Amino acid sequence: MPEKIKIVVNEDRCYLCGGCAGVCPTLAIEVHSSGWEFLQDKCISCKICVNACPVGALSAEPLEVKA
Amino acid sequence: MSWKYDVVVVGAGIAGPIVARNVARAGFSVLLIDKKWAIGTPKQCAEGISIKVFEKYDIPYDKRFINREIYGAKLYSPSGYELEMRYKDVSGVILERKVFDKMLAYYAAKAGADVLARTEALDVIRKDGKVVGIKAKHEDEPVEIYADVIVAADGVESTIARKAGINTYAPPHEFDSSYEYEMLIEGFDPDLIHLWFGNEIAPRGYVWVFPKDEDRANVGIGINSDNPQTAKYYLDKWLKENNIPAKKLLEINVGVVPVGGFVKELVKDNVLVVGDAARQVNPMHGGGMAEAMEAGTIASKWIVKALEEENLSLLQNYTKEWWETDGKRLEKVLKVRRVTEKLTDEDLDLFIQILSGADAEKIAGGDYGEVIKALLKHPKVLLSSRRIKLLKELL
Repeated sequence: MPEKIKIVVNEDRCYLCGGCAGVCPTLAIEVHSSGWEFLQDKCISCKICVNACPVGALSAEPLEVKA
Repeated sequence: MSWKYDVVVVGAGIAGPIVARNVARAGFSVLLIDKKWAIGTPKQCAEGISIKVFEKYDIPYDKRFINREIYGAKLYSPSGYELEMRYKDVSGVILERKVFDKMLAYYAAKAGADVLARTEALDVIRKDGKVVGIKAKHEDEPVEIYADVIVAADGVESTIARKAGINTYAPPHEFDSSYEYEMLIEGFDPDLIHLWFGNEIAPRGYVWVFPKDEDRANVGIGINSDNPQTAKYYLDKWLKENNIPAKKLLEINVGVVPVGGFVKELVKDNVLVVGDAARQVNPMHGGGMAEAMEAGTIASKWIVKALEEENLSLLQNYTKEWWETDGKRLEKVLKVRRVTEKLTDEDLDLFIQILSGADAEKIAGGDYGEVIKALLKHPKVLLSSRRIKLLKELL
């Protein structure tokens, strides 16, 4: 099992181009005209979006699991 | 609020307005929506397009969205060999997408379509399992848009198509990551587009200079989206290595481009997917405007027929016709891309070197078979079984 992660955006780098939403296999990212949104419950921790971002605006952080 | 139309089109890029215009011309009610508050802005595009599309898709040749007419292309290999293809007549233009897209939406509106900017599609509305419309938001106001036919022209994100149950998945290797400056740049013939190839320069893709003026151009790059480095990294590296100052930047554009994995089933019941959302992009060069126009034209033809004959099952003909025509062509282009991405820098140097000495007229004429034959005749190719194998895959 890959490590469970959350995706975070660096808003100062992001252009809201929608590419991350396009490559996401599970619709876990929504790009609205007013902002970027991550839907944790849909994410499968594949990190495809992190690599695909043309400007490196996305990063993966380990998801804290409650003990 | 709740509205009812014959057709709702989500996305006012290239494909969406073409569909909306053609459907409106046939006399049906259509609403074209886009989440952007200014249609056309921002763009994800290098803005180059063939001169042929204006007549073919009935688009006025309006100087308001044409920055510059282009007469050909110049290709550069990793070590600097050059191949120039120059035509007597204009072969293409560099558009201003923020004007062009808006004008396409304007043509749709003039033809009778309603058009609403800053209207974001959020989800589909289902009734008895069937999609009957979309939930949207105009500014902050929720709206329900009911329609007999729903067209997802919503770009690379393809959200509405996917929510409607159309499988638009493509693996990460089938996307390009792109980054582009519109900037002042000198020293390149402004009548040609310029393309640089090389595995260190632009993995799987190329760097481009598309002139919009004598000294102003879109300078961009596309690389495979599963590359660990960013497109921005590679473009900035190329500019630095070539001592091109990036100090006069007028615009920055970013995007992810589907370059393979065309959507198989383009229609699900009464929902159609077109353009980038359907991955209908040329996998070789990453351009998708002409492909979107073609798909939009085929889609709208079958939407009109289906509505006229009150038989929505006719919509399936869009999938069939697209795959028999442009889909077939693009599948071939995809095969070529998969071969060319195996080329080493030495291969690229050699091939461009050979072709620059070959029959330029035939190459410029786009006689693809002749190009491969010219390469296959060369001793350095004949002595490499790997190169022969690669080229034969292309024939």
